[in-house]
Amino acid sequence: MSLPLIDDLKHTPSQRWFKGALAVLPLSIAVIPWGILAGSLALDAGLNPLESQAMSAIVFAGAAQLVAVGMIKAGVGLGSILITTLLITSRHFLYSMAMRPNISPLPLKWRLTLGFLLTDELFAILAAGKQSKNKPQSFDRWYALGVGLSFYLVWNMATLVGIIAGSQIPNLDSWGLDFAIAATFIAIVTPQINRPSILICVLVSLVASVVCELFQVPSGLLIAAIMGMTVGTLYAKATGEKP
Amino acid sequence: MITLTICLMACIIFLSRYGFLEPRLPITLNAATLRFLSYSAPAVLTAIWGPIVFVSEHELNLNWQNHYLVCAVFAIVLAITTRNTLLTTIVSMMLFFGLRAWYM
Repeated sequence: MSLPLIDDLKHTPSQRWFKGALAVLPLSIAVIPWGILAGSLALDAGLNPLESQAMSAIVFAGAAQLVAVGMIKAGVGLGSILITTLLITSRHFLYSMAMRPNISPLPLKWRLTLGFLLTDELFAILAAGKQSKNKPQSFDRWYALGVGLSFYLVWNMATLVGIIAGSQIPNLDSWGLDFAIAATFIAIVTPQINRPSILICVLVSLVASVVCELFQVPSGLLIAAIMGMTVGTLYAKATGEKP
Repeated sequence: MITLTICLMACIIFLSRYGFLEPRLPITLNAATLRFLSYSAPAVLTAIWGPIVFVSEHELNLNWQNHYLVCAVFAIVLAITTRNTLLTTIVSMMLFFGLRAWYM
């Protein structure tokens, strides 16, 4: 069962790139305060400006960066930082496995680029595209690059702003910009619920993630997601639901 | 030391993202695995938005004064009726920031 690679040939690569950049725009806007925070907190933790920017430029992982910077500031050892990084980043194993049918047949430079850019946001937008009714299972490399690269550029520019402006921007995390993330993901997930097993998967994941968050379970996100996926799959199998 | 930390973190994160994209990795995903993975997007994305909407300051917030909750319900209704991702995102964000500005 291999999925076909469908590149949109009616439009030029740059048109497809901008289409991707537009699709991820709400998430790019939502990430700006977190990028600024990543820059200013890195500086605050004792990284020099170049190191602070390098964090966003080569690590490029919001949650892991913010946590690691906090640990560096607290003087935690390298081993603990790396284990925490591994726990936070472990959901990417799931993303790369899910994208394997689409991305692994591409040439090396595309694999490396899209792999490097494979964030929650890129996965979310590509997953939304895969579900579209008119072009099922389509995958356009230039569209994906537009999503991933535009998001990368915004993240790095926001980090630069954070490094320059430093602590002059008050209470960024109380602006409620995380609602933009919730709104976008709800808008992506809701239309995908077209079978009972997906509804069950979503409900299990929802309850589990909230419970994990309340009890501050490490890697709660991954635990909740795998619970949802497992229950959804089992339900589909038990009821003989058609995919 | 900080340079080393950044480089090692970058390696771990890149490997987690790229690992299964490498075609020479000797695994083939069978139909059952692909079926399981087809639930990954709704499951992971829900596990990200759930806590944002329902938890504030480490406590469950089911109060109607929780703007995150009200606007999330609104976004779900909008997503079901319009099926338009961008419209749903923008209109529910406008409601959210409108409510926040109003009650500030």
